Amino acid sequence: MEKSRNPRSAPAIRTTEWWLTLPSFGWLLVFFVIPALIILVISFRTPDVTGGIGSGWTWGNWSAWLHADVRVLTLRTLWVSAETTAVCLALAIPVAWFMARCSVAWRGTLLLLVILPFWTNFLIRVFAWKVLLNQDGLAARLARALHIIGDGDTLLYHPGAVLLVLVYTHLPFAILPLYAAAEKFDFSLLDAARDLGASAPRAFFSVFVPGIGAGVGAAALMVFVATLGNYLIPEIVGGHESDMLGNRIAQRALSDRNLPEAAALASGLALAAVVLAAALWKWQRRQVRTHATNGPAEANPARHLQSENS
Amino acid sequence: MNKRKFLRSLAATTAIASCDRHADPARSGPATLQIYMWADYIKPALVQQFELQNKCRVVIDTFDSNEAMYAKLKAGATGFDIALPSSYMVKLMKEQDLLSQIDRVMVPNLVNISADVASKVHDKMMTHSVPYAVGHTVLAYRKDKLPKPEPTWATLERPEVKGRCTLLNDMRETLGAALKHLGHSINTRDDQHLAAARDLVLRWKKSTVKFDNEAYKTGIDSGEFSLVHGYSGDLFQVVSDNDKVGILVPQEGIVMSCDEFVILRQGQNPLLAHQFINFMLEANISAENMQEIGYLSPNKPALDLVSRDFFDHPAIRIPDEVKAKVEVIEDLGPDLPKWTKAWDEVKAG
Amino acid sequence: MTPRRTFSGTVTALVLLFFHAPLIVLVANSFNASRFGGTWEGFTLHWYTDLAANREVLEAFGRTLKIALLATPAATLLGTLAAFALHRHHSRLQSAHLVCVQLPLVLPEILMGFSLLLFFIATGWGLGITAIWAAHVTFCISFVAMIILARLQDFDFTLVDAARDLGASAWQVAWRVLLPLLWPGILAGALMAFTLSIDDFVITFFVSGPGTTTLPVQIYSMMKTSRSLPVINALSALLLFGTILLVATSQWLTRPPRRP
Repeated sequence: MEKSRNPRSAPAIRTTEWWLTLPSFGWLLVFFVIPALIILVISFRTPDVTGGIGSGWTWGNWSAWLHADVRVLTLRTLWVSAETTAVCLALAIPVAWFMARCSVAWRGTLLLLVILPFWTNFLIRVFAWKVLLNQDGLAARLARALHIIGDGDTLLYHPGAVLLVLVYTHLPFAILPLYAAAEKFDFSLLDAARDLGASAPRAFFSVFVPGIGAGVGAAALMVFVATLGNYLIPEIVGGHESDMLGNRIAQRALSDRNLPEAAALASGLALAAVVLAAALWKWQRRQVRTHATNGPAEANPARHLQSENS
Repeated sequence: MNKRKFLRSLAATTAIASCDRHADPARSGPATLQIYMWADYIKPALVQQFELQNKCRVVIDTFDSNEAMYAKLKAGATGFDIALPSSYMVKLMKEQDLLSQIDRVMVPNLVNISADVASKVHDKMMTHSVPYAVGHTVLAYRKDKLPKPEPTWATLERPEVKGRCTLLNDMRETLGAALKHLGHSINTRDDQHLAAARDLVLRWKKSTVKFDNEAYKTGIDSGEFSLVHGYSGDLFQVVSDNDKVGILVPQEGIVMSCDEFVILRQGQNPLLAHQFINFMLEANISAENMQEIGYLSPNKPALDLVSRDFFDHPAIRIPDEVKAKVEVIEDLGPDLPKWTKAWDEVKAG
Repeated sequence: MTPRRTFSGTVTALVLLFFHAPLIVLVANSFNASRFGGTWEGFTLHWYTDLAANREVLEAFGRTLKIALLATPAATLLGTLAAFALHRHHSRLQSAHLVCVQLPLVLPEILMGFSLLLFFIATGWGLGITAIWAAHVTFCISFVAMIILARLQDFDFTLVDAARDLGASAWQVAWRVLLPLLWPGILAGALMAFTLSIDDFVITFFVSGPGTTTLPVQIYSMMKTSRSLPVINALSALLLFGTILLVATSQWLTRPPRRP
C-alpha cells in the first residue's frame, strides 16, 4: 500500500521492488522452479537400464499411470489421504472450537501443548508409535483384552496403523489454521442463530463451520496434499497393503534405476497438488471478497509451525 | 537478552560454522576415508585400530541393497573411496567406469585370497575388486513359536507363522528363493519360471507382514516376528546373543553372494584405500572380523586361524546336501526389466 | 453451550493425550533396561552413557546443527525480503512471486527432494553438504516469508508514516522503526527455519552424499539396524528437553513489546 509521495520517485519504487523481490524470487526460481521443470522434462526421456536417464524421448513413462498396479496405488493413496483429512478435520474442528472459546490465558497454554510434541524429531515420534503398538506392548495387550483384535493379530503393519500415524503427524497442521480462523470468528453470530430458534448443533454446523470456511479449506488442503506424497509412514509402520505412490516414486528413484518413470509419477503428483491448491486459492479469494467477517489475513492463513511435511 | 547481542552471537556462530565448512579436510586435519558398505558388516574395533595405525579417520555410510548403492553412486554422490558391492554389481560398475584399478603392489596380502573363491567371482584376476565376505540367505525362526521346524522354504506357508514373518525386500533374493523352491535357476531369464516364482511369492506374501531388509534382525530378536528371511551373518549375530532363535538352511537350495571391496574412481584417498584393503586382508584381522560379523572371508590363512566352533555354527555351516544347490547371483543385463516387472506385480498383488 | 463445551473439551483432552502418549512412552523407555521396550525390566541410565560414547550419533548431531546454523540466516534473510516485497507491492511480478513462495508449502516433500536430486545431477553440482544446505534454505524460505507476512499484515504502518513525517529517510525508517518492531516476527521465522532444518529427513535423504549423515538420517538407519535401539529413546528424551528450553526462550523473546 505504498503511496508515492513524490511523482519523481515512481521509478525508484520499481527498483526497490526489484531489489526486494529478486533475492528470494531468484533463489526459488533456481532451486524450486527449475528443478520442477527438470522433472517434467526427464519424465519424457527413455530410461537407461544401467541407471539413470537415456537419450531418447518417449511418452512411455507417463503410461506408467495406466498400469494396473499404479492404478491400485493411486486409488489407495487418494483414499488414505481422504480418510486422513476427514479424521483430522473431525478432530480438529472441535479442538479449534474449544480453544477459541477458552480464556486467553488458557489458549496460549493449549496451543503450546498442541505444538510441543511436534518440536521433537519426526522419525523418533514414528518410532515411538512402533514401540507403543508393539506386539507385546500395553496397547496391543489392551486391544486383545477388549477383543478389538484377535490373539494372533498385531496392531502394526497394516493400514490402520498407517492411518493412525498419518493422523498423528498431520493433526496439528489441521488444528492451527482452524484455530486461527476460529479465533477471528464472531461468536455473537451463534447467539443470534440461537435467538432465531436454531438448535445448538444446527447453529454449529450452519453458522460456525461455514464461518471458519477458509480455515477448513486451508487445513483440508494441507493435510490432503501432505499425505498424498507420504512414503515414510507406510514404509515404517505399514504392511503389504499400505504402499502408496510415494513409495513407488522412492523405489523407482532410489533403487530401481528408473529415474524417468519416477519423474513421470512425481510430475503427475505435483500437478494434482498444484491443481488442488489453485482451486482452493481461487475459492478463498472469492470468500474474502464476499465475506466481510473474515479479514484479509484469511487469504494468507499463517501456518505457524509446519515441520515434517512428508 | 538484547537484540544486538543476540545478532552478534548469531553472526559469530555462523562465521565459525562456515569456517569449518570451507576448511579443506585434505589439508587441515587427518585424511578421511569414506566407505560405503552394508550395515553391521565390519568390527568397529578393527576400524578404530586402522584409524590409530594410520592416523586417519574412517567414516562409514551404509546402504541396504546393491541397487540403492548403485543408484546413489550413479546419481552423483561423490567422495566415496571404497564401496562393498556384491560381485554381480561389480561387473556393472566396471562397465560404467566407476572403478579404479587395484594396484597389487600396494596390497601384498592379496595372496591370502583363496584361489577357489577367486575363480567363482566375476573379476577373477582381482584387477578391480577384492573379495571380502561370502554370505548366503537363510530362514531364521523363534524356537518358542515354531515347533518341529523343517529346512525348507515351504516353512513360510506354515500356519504357526502366519502374520508373523517377513521376506527380504530384495528382488533377487526373494524371487530367487521362490525359484529355488521350484527347482529353477536364480539367474533365469525365462518368463514362465519368473511367472511361477512371482505366483509363489504372492502366496508367501499372505503369510508375511512386510518385505524388509534390516529390521528383521531386531524383529526376530525381540520375538516380534516368528520367521524371517535374512542374511546369514546378520542372523549369526542375533543367534549368538539369543538362544531362542534358530536357523533353517532350506534344502532346495539357497542364494549366495560374495561382497567385494572396490576402489572408486571418485575417491580422494586411493593410497589410504589400498592400505585399508590390505589391512582387512591380514590373516589375524580377517579372522577376528569374520567371527564378529558372521560371514566367511575367502582368506585362507585367516580361515586356518578360526575356531572349529565357528565353522559348525548353524548360521555359517551349509549342510553338504545343500552345497550343490547353492547359486551365486549374476547380473541380468538387459533382462532386468523382466524381473522388475515380476517384482512390481509381487509388491502390488 | 455447556454440552458443546463438554464434548469439545473431551475431544481436546483426548487429542492432547494422543499427542503426548508416545512421548511419555519414549522417555520412560529411555530409562528401561529392556532392549525392546515391551516390558519394564528395571531402571537404568546406561542408554544415556552409551549415547555419550556413540561417536556416529554425536557426529551426525553436530553436522545437523552446522547445516541448520548455516541455512537459517540465509533462509531468514531471503524470507524477510520476500515478505516485504509481497506486502508492499502488488504487481504481476508479485503474483508470480507469491505463487513461487506458496507452492513449496503445498507440495509433498518427496517431490522437492526428488526434483533437487535431479537438479544436482543435471547441473553437475553433485550431492553432499552444500546440496543439503541449498535444499534446506529452499524449503525454509516459504515458511519464514509466510510468518513475517502475517505479522506485516497486522503491523501498524501509521508508525512508519509518523517517522516519515518527522523527516526520517527510507533507510532510517527500515532500520530504526520497522526492523525493531518486526524483530519478534523475524525471530519466530528464524526459529521456524532452524527447526525445519534440524528435523528434515526426506529431502536430506535424497540429496545426501558420503559422510553427510545428519541426525534424522542416522536415526532412520539406527531404527532399522541398531541393536541398541533405546539409545534413540535417550537421545529423544534429551532433544525433547532441549526443545522445551528453546520454546521457552522463544516465547520469552517474542512476548508482545510494551507499547509506549
